[in-house]
Amino acid sequence: MFLPVFIYVLIVYYWPMLGVRYAFYDYTLKKIEFVGLKHFTKMFSDADFWKAFTNTLELSIIKLLITTGTAVIVSVFINEMANLFAKKVLQTVIYLPHFMSWTVTAAIFTLFLSTSSTGFVNETLKNWGLIKESIDFMHETSLWRHVYYLVNIWKETGWGTVIFLATLSGINPELYEAADIDGATRLQKIWYVTVPELLNTIIIVLILNLAKVLNLFESVFVMYNNRVFDVSDVISTYIYRKTFMTAIPNYGYSTAVGLFKSVVGCALVLICNRASKRVRGRGII
Amino acid sequence: MKKKVLSLLLATAMVASLAACGSAAPESTDTQSSDTSAQSGDAAATDTADSAAEDYELTDLYITVDGTLTANVDNGQDAFIEQWEQAVSEKIGHPITLHINQPEHSGYKDNVAQLLTTGQPGDGQYPDALIMSATMFKQYQTTGILWNMADAYANAEFQSRVTLPSINENMKTASGELYAFAPTYGNGCVTYVKQSWLDAAGLKIDDIKTFDDYYNMLKAFTKDGQTGVIAAGFGKLDEAPYINYMPEFWQGAYPAIYKNGDQWVDGFQEQATIDALNRLAQGYADGVIDKDTEEATTKVAREKWFSNDQTTSEGVFTYWAGTWLRTLTDNLDKNDVDADLGDDRLVQLAPIKEIKDTWGGYLNREAPVWVITDDGDGNDAREQAIFDALIETMLDGDKVQTLWTYGAEDVHWSTHAESFTTNPDDPDKKKDYEYAEGEFHLKQSPNDPNAVWKKNHLDPVLVIAPLTNGFIDNDPLVTAGNKFFTENCVDAPQSPSSETLTEVEADLATDKTTYLNNVVAGKMTAEDAIADYQSKWGDTINTILEELNSAE
Repeated sequence: MFLPVFIYVLIVYYWPMLGVRYAFYDYTLKKIEFVGLKHFTKMFSDADFWKAFTNTLELSIIKLLITTGTAVIVSVFINEMANLFAKKVLQTVIYLPHFMSWTVTAAIFTLFLSTSSTGFVNETLKNWGLIKESIDFMHETSLWRHVYYLVNIWKETGWGTVIFLATLSGINPELYEAADIDGATRLQKIWYVTVPELLNTIIIVLILNLAKVLNLFESVFVMYNNRVFDVSDVISTYIYRKTFMTAIPNYGYSTAVGLFKSVVGCALVLICNRASKRVRGRGII
Repeated sequence: MKKKVLSLLLATAMVASLAACGSAAPESTDTQSSDTSAQSGDAAATDTADSAAEDYELTDLYITVDGTLTANVDNGQDAFIEQWEQAVSEKIGHPITLHINQPEHSGYKDNVAQLLTTGQPGDGQYPDALIMSATMFKQYQTTGILWNMADAYANAEFQSRVTLPSINENMKTASGELYAFAPTYGNGCVTYVKQSWLDAAGLKIDDIKTFDDYYNMLKAFTKDGQTGVIAAGFGKLDEAPYINYMPEFWQGAYPAIYKNGDQWVDGFQEQATIDALNRLAQGYADGVIDKDTEEATTKVAREKWFSNDQTTSEGVFTYWAGTWLRTLTDNLDKNDVDADLGDDRLVQLAPIKEIKDTWGGYLNREAPVWVITDDGDGNDAREQAIFDALIETMLDGDKVQTLWTYGAEDVHWSTHAESFTTNPDDPDKKKDYEYAEGEFHLKQSPNDPNAVWKKNHLDPVLVIAPLTNGFIDNDPLVTAGNKFFTENCVDAPQSPSSETLTEVEADLATDKTTYLNNVVAGKMTAEDAIADYQSKWGDTINTILEELNSAE
C-alpha cells in the first residue's frame, strides 16, 4: 500500500516542483539558458518588486487584523442576541458575501463607488449636499486601501465568525453565573469572561493566517488599477503581470520571484509553527 | 524516524531529478541556434524549399486566431472549417484537417505568448500559423521563431492580382526578409457623432473644423448625465497607433517610439505629448470626457455609447471605419435609439484642422498579419506547405477567399433564392429581405436571426487582392464608411523592432498609462509626469533608440 501512495505523492506533489529550476534559467520562446542568479539580482534591484513585497505584507497583515477583529466583535454581538430567529437570520445574511466570487464583488463595489452618474455612493453624497465633486474611491491612492479593507470586512467577516461562535458556545455558563452573582454588568461580562475565553482562539486564528500572508492575489487583482499601483501592487499581481501581460515573457524571472515568495512563505510557516507550539502546545504542521 | 527517512528519500529524488532536468536544458538552446541559423536566408536552403515542400504532406493545420475571425464557434465555425477543408484539399491534392484555436480576443496577446513559449510544433496546440497585430509582430520578428516567407510570397499565385503590393513590401527587413503576410491594409478609426445630438444642440457637422469647434460641441453635449465623448482609455498605449481612439485630443502627438525623418525618437517625451496630456486633463476636468473612459474596454465603451439608456450616454465616439459604421448603426437600431433617422443616425467627422496640419488625416494603422512558425529543423518543407495551404489559398480570388471574406456558403451567405425577415415580431424594426436565384447575398447571422451577417475575417474592401467571383456585399453605409476613411487617412508610423524594447514594452506601456491617467485625473502635471518618466526610463529609452538608429 505504501508504494502507490509514495508514487502518487512523488508525481502529483513533487514532480511539478521541479519547475523551480527555471528560476536559474532564461526561459523565453524556446530559449532555455542557464543564467545562475541573474534573475534574483534583477529582482532585488527592481524598485517595483520591493514595492510589491512591502505592499503584500502591509495589505495582508492589516487586512488580517481588521477582519479578525471585526469577526470577534460581530461574534460577541451575535452571541449576546437573545432572539434566536434574529440571530439565525443575521448569521445567514453575513455569511452570504463569503460565497460570492471576488470578480462579482469587485464589479458590484466598482459600480457602487463609481464617479459616473451610476455610482450610488457619490450620487447619494451629492444629493445630500455633502460633496460637490465625485470622490474617485477606486483610483485615489489615499482611499484605495480603505476601500479594500472595507470590502474585505464586508465579504469575510461573516465567515470569520464561524470559529469564534463555536468557541463562544463552548464557554462554561458557570463563569457567567459567577459574574452575575458578583454583580457584573453585561459589558463587564463580555470584557472579563467572553474576551479572555476567546483570546486563545484569536491567537490561533492569527497564527494560522499569518502563514498565508503572501498568498494575496484575487482580491487585489480584481480591484486594483494603474493609478493605485503604488499602494496596491502585491507580489502575486507583480508575477502575473511579468508572466501574462508581457509581450514575450521570461518564465525564468517569474519563477525566481515565485521561488522567493515560496521561501519567505515557508519561513513564515515555520515561524508560525513555533509560535503555535508555544501558544497551544502543538504545531500547525 | 520513518517520517524523516521518507522526507530524506523525497528530497533526494527531487535533487536527483533537478540535476537530470538541468542537464537537459542546454539542448533547447541548441535548438534555438539551429532555428536562428535556419532563418539566415541561406540561398541554397531556399532553392531546395520548393522541392522539399512537394515531398511534405501537411495533413493537419493548426492556426490560432483572434476575434477578427467572426465565424466563431457560436457563429458557424464548423461549417467554415468543413468547407475550407474540402476546398483546400482539392487545391493541394490531398486531405487536410483545419484546427482553429480562438482564444478570447482581449487576452489574445498573452495567450499567444504562452503558446509560443511553452509549446512545441506538433503538440496539438502550438500554432503552425497565427494572426498578430503589427505591434505583436514587431516584437516577435527578431526572436527567430517566425518563418521568412519572402520567397514563398514572391512566388505566390495571387501576386498577379495584388492591387496593394506596398503593404507587404513595406514589411520586409532591410535585408529583404519577410516574416509576415498582411492580406488586407490596416484600416483605422474615424470620429462618429450622433446626428440627433447635433440637432438638439443646433450644430452642423460641417461646422466642426477645429479643436475649439470640436471641444465646444462636446461641451454642448455634456449636460444632465450625458457626456461629450467616450473611448477605451484616454490613449491605448499598448497597441499602435496608440492615439486613434481620441485623435482630436492627441492631434500631432505620438506617445511612443517612432521614426521622425531618418531618426527614431521617443514621442512620449515630446512637447506635443505634453500638450495632448494637458488637453485631455482639461477635457476630463470639464467633464466632456466620460469618466468611464479610463477603465473602459472597447466593448464597454461602445456598448455604453449605443446603449438604450441615452441619458447617461455620449454624443461622440471614435471607432473603426467601414463595416463598424454599419455595426454601430445596427446596434443603435437594436436599442431603439433614434429610430426615425434610420441609416442617418451617425455622421462622420472629417479630421479637424489640427490633425490635418500635423498627421494629414486619421491614422491608417499598420496591418494585422499572418505569420508562420518556424520549427527550426533547417528545412522549409513544413513551412512552405503551410504557406501553400493557408496563405496561398486565402487570396485565391474565389472559393477559399470567399470563405475567409464572408464565411461558409449557405450558412453565412448564399446565391440561392430566398427571403427572410429580421425582427418579425417588432413592427417598427421588421425588415424583409428577398433575393433571386444566383444573387449573392449575406444571410441572417447564425446566432442572431434578427441581424444580417456582415463579414468573416477579410474585409472585402481592405483586401490587397480582390475577389474575382464578383461576390460583393453592396451595403451603401459600409461603402460610404470605407470611402470616407480612405479619403481622410494617412499611414500610421511604422512600429519599431528592438530586442530591448520587446523586453520592456509591457512595463513601459503600463507606466506610461499610469502617467497618462494621473495627469488626466489631475494628480500630477504633464511636465512632472514626463520628468518622472525620463528619470525612470531615460537610460532604457536611450538604449532602445541607439539599437534602432544603429540598425538603420
